[in-house]
Amino acid sequence: MELCDLSAFVITQQLRQKKISAVEVTESALKRIEAVDGRPGMLDAGSLTAEDEKKVHAFITVTTERALKQAAEVDRKLAAGEDPGLLAGVPVTIKDIFCVKDTPSTAASKILANFTAPYTATPVERLEKAGAVVLGKVNLDEFTYGSSNESSAFQPSPRNPWNTGRVPGGSSGGSAASVAAGEAPLSLGTDTAGSIRQPASFCGVVGLKPTYGRVSRYGLIAFGSSLDCPGPVARNVSDAALMMQVIAGHDAHDSTTANVPVMDYVKSLDQDIRGLRIGLSPDYFRIAFPNPQTGEYEIQALPAEIETAVRRAAELLAAQGAEIVENVPMPNTKFGIPAYFVISRVEAASNLHRFDGVKYGYRAKGPFQDLTQMYRRTRGEGFGPQPKLRILMGMYVSAAQYSEQYYKRALQVRSMIRRDFEAAFDPQGEHKVDVLLTPTCPTTAFQMGAVYGDSVLMQYADQLTVPANHAGVPGLSIPAGLDQDGLPIGIQLLGPDYREDILFRVGRAYERATENDAWRSEKPQVLR
Amino acid sequence: MTEYEPIIGLETHIQLNTTTKIFCGCKADSWFDPPNTNVCPVCCGLPGVLPVLNKAVVEKAVLLAAAMHAEIRDLSFFDRKNYFYPDLPKGYQISQFDQSLAKGGYLEVPMVQQGYTRRVGIWKLHIEEDAGKTKNEKGRRMIDFNRCGVPLVEMVTAPDLRSPDEAAQYLMRLRQLLRWLGISEADMEKAHLRCDANVSIRPKGADFLNPKTEIKNVNSIDAVRDAIAKEIERQTRETEAGRKIEAWTLEWDEDAGRLKKMRSKETEADYRYFREPDLLPVRLTAEWKAEILKDLPELPLERRQRFMTQYNLPEYDADILTGERKLSDYYEAAVKEFGGDPKKVSNWLMNDLLRMLNDRGITADQLKVTPEFLAQILKLVDGNTINTSTGKALLQKVEESGLAPQVIVEKEGLAKVSDDAVIRAACQEVIAESPKETEAYRGGKVTLLGWFVGQVMKKMRGKADPNLARGILEELLK
Amino acid sequence: MTDQITPEVFSHLVELAALQLDPAEGEYIRRQLNNQLKSIHELEAIPLDNSLAPALHGVPYPAEISAAPRADVWQACPDVAAILSQAPQFEDGYIIVPDIPHTNLE
Repeated sequence: MELCDLSAFVITQQLRQKKISAVEVTESALKRIEAVDGRPGMLDAGSLTAEDEKKVHAFITVTTERALKQAAEVDRKLAAGEDPGLLAGVPVTIKDIFCVKDTPSTAASKILANFTAPYTATPVERLEKAGAVVLGKVNLDEFTYGSSNESSAFQPSPRNPWNTGRVPGGSSGGSAASVAAGEAPLSLGTDTAGSIRQPASFCGVVGLKPTYGRVSRYGLIAFGSSLDCPGPVARNVSDAALMMQVIAGHDAHDSTTANVPVMDYVKSLDQDIRGLRIGLSPDYFRIAFPNPQTGEYEIQALPAEIETAVRRAAELLAAQGAEIVENVPMPNTKFGIPAYFVISRVEAASNLHRFDGVKYGYRAKGPFQDLTQMYRRTRGEGFGPQPKLRILMGMYVSAAQYSEQYYKRALQVRSMIRRDFEAAFDPQGEHKVDVLLTPTCPTTAFQMGAVYGDSVLMQYADQLTVPANHAGVPGLSIPAGLDQDGLPIGIQLLGPDYREDILFRVGRAYERATENDAWRSEKPQVLR
Repeated sequence: MTEYEPIIGLETHIQLNTTTKIFCGCKADSWFDPPNTNVCPVCCGLPGVLPVLNKAVVEKAVLLAAAMHAEIRDLSFFDRKNYFYPDLPKGYQISQFDQSLAKGGYLEVPMVQQGYTRRVGIWKLHIEEDAGKTKNEKGRRMIDFNRCGVPLVEMVTAPDLRSPDEAAQYLMRLRQLLRWLGISEADMEKAHLRCDANVSIRPKGADFLNPKTEIKNVNSIDAVRDAIAKEIERQTRETEAGRKIEAWTLEWDEDAGRLKKMRSKETEADYRYFREPDLLPVRLTAEWKAEILKDLPELPLERRQRFMTQYNLPEYDADILTGERKLSDYYEAAVKEFGGDPKKVSNWLMNDLLRMLNDRGITADQLKVTPEFLAQILKLVDGNTINTSTGKALLQKVEESGLAPQVIVEKEGLAKVSDDAVIRAACQEVIAESPKETEAYRGGKVTLLGWFVGQVMKKMRGKADPNLARGILEELLK
Repeated sequence: MTDQITPEVFSHLVELAALQLDPAEGEYIRRQLNNQLKSIHELEAIPLDNSLAPALHGVPYPAEISAAPRADVWQACPDVAAILSQAPQFEDGYIIVPDIPHTNLE
């Protein structure tokens, strides 16, 4: 096993024990990147080569010099007897939706391709202060709009390390792929409708969407301001907990961060789960969607393998003393997607107003008749089709005459979805569950190019993840086996506000119960 | 011929004098700074930034709302107002749309010369952020973000004003109030107080409203008066010619002294307001509100009324003595110290002290002639220890030296001389020294008496009691 | 009640959004929008109790966990030059853009 394949926990341990150095770990990670990543995403990439199709392409920018300098500083601190931090020497990749000072911060869009951030996002700052080594910025769907990472303006877009003919998921595709390919033990992603959990599920890694407001959004290039959550992607639950320990907590720069103390996520990890009530909901074992012709709701059951993975997990957790509670109703789950369409588009259209070629980023080439022409050409040339789609939908549904009909209703539907969770978790309620156990996605990783053209179907696949974004509750996706094509299956745990600790605990219990499962010794295609 | 009445409403933007901007830690006042130096990621609208509300902005806005007798909401919300403009870096302005900090209220505007008071209703009072500044140069726009994020209170009046003069008076009273409360410098020339006017006309006695035009870019109270007057003329002409008034946006050209029609994309835009998701609602707890309002002073118009009833001052005096808070507080302190006729204090203040303030460019609280010292001088004059002109001179001396009046009087021996013999001697001297005038007086030119008094005062270096001197001279010149 | 985004409505939206699309891209996006509108219409069919409060955020923000407004204290930005260096056109301290359409009539 290479140094870069070690868990974050082990790296920090061995570093403190002076068994390895931070520079060595970083060099190992850089070597892995070179071996499996192929060329990084870029504008004007030209056509894909056969070689491209076998590589991961997680990165947009590898910050080699910077990383080695950070690693050297960690080693210096250790040698000097200074505290290097909780994540000392651990390589981490950052989804390129975060501003990191003096690095290109592109949002995977042409409109920010030339933007060098003048400040650093709070979660990244906290990681760096804790001694983590930032390897670089990884790829994503443009402005996080997508579930396959294919819509990035920086091509080649990331590929699933388990099968490079498949998508890594999105929008945090680069995050999940970089962790799955062993390029780094940790990545910082964002989750707006499942964009951490779904790629984590597709790539066989752990992904957490924290409670909304648990991790600061300062420096996160905004998509859906009331939905976006920065969160960890890791290879195991303990590492995710360690990273959360560092990034969680109130930030004076973000008024929506909660003044709730950060608990010790690591300490409670291995507590047993006896007596914990784990709920299963029929509404999460299917996808409900309106027929495009008739508009009537249709139900599609999930593939058997995925349902089996969840049920098996339930059995294993029951064997450890948890109580399984069946038939927890979450009736408003199916309204999550249309409400999400409206809320996210209204917020996105507004958040993208600032990209106007005036003070940063891309400005189209002149000469211009007037300012309006500059705006239109800049935004027309700078944005890809997905942002344009969202902007225009946002403009439409937020227009004064439709605002009541669409936007206000969507916010009311959000209340209804929230109520489902409150009822399920209510200690005085009927079901009194501590966590819900559900599938993460209705599919495993699909083929590249398969559904990019059809945005509605892609969006409905988020039906199992988006309710947590509406309600603000935390959600954890953990790997739970491989399907018959050898592709990872993910299962999801959903919990009450600020109770990431329970999710970690249950996730850890599942890991212990499946420690020796055969699928855990399988390697992704790029690492074989 | 139909008689028309103008219907005027004013939208004012008030720049608050907090230390920092509304949503970031940059300075609120950068009037003298070079362009684009008072900026940060937040007020420049960089990708990923978030607003953080300034406590002092809420507090000053609440003070204003209370002073305007408005209904203050305990829970108010921020909204995004979306439009494209180069001085608006985020492409939206964070403002308050439907649940603003306060609503309702009024400002009384005394029209002193005309003898009535216009009560102007306030529809809405909300807080928002300012945009930057742009200027034109050789076919391009130069943008300065220094002012982005400066805190503003916007107040929209009901269309209750009925003349350009009323509009001007409203602005003067508002400016006075803002300075009185200490929440804004309210200097129109520095854009601390900005005003847009909405103008329409209708037949006198009608109760409906006609389409209105909006006048922007008026940068002084006089400009507001002139621009509105011109627009009323224009609308009257158009209406009488049978043409309809359209809801144009007009810009006042100060140099040319006329109005121009603007084609602004802004005015056609649907702002697509929605709740600002990056901010929590403004929560005014009972404790916080009480804390803020305990600093609410007696308001200028209330005090003006009280000075007239309590101190029996004429309206003219009361107006001046409640024009500016420090002067007003000074006056009241002096009256209390003096204990005598408040009108006397008023006279001294309005004439000599005001002149002194203007000459030295200071405010009343900066005077070395404190209210106590002024009261002492007045008591000395009242008690005949010194005469009035000595008293006035004493003002200067106290201001220059900072010494108490009594101390200076003793030091310089300024006390009035009432000794008959001493005065008589001086009178006799003057008469002896002025044979020509004596002859003229005895020949019938009795007006010369004043001249003789003056000469005696001169001889006695102003210390004679002039009434006594007059009596003695009359006697001697017979 | 089907709200179809017609080519006229669409081009108005494009103008409002300060965008510029070539005809093929425009038509593709317009069709996508209309497709998505169908699923958004589901919102109208959802039985809603109108007293249900619109939730701006999923998590509630009671006073105890809400961040208080900040103190009115000046904090200078440590690196203004880094911000200004990102401007596409910057001269004499100002950010430069083309002029704004502005007609002076009468």
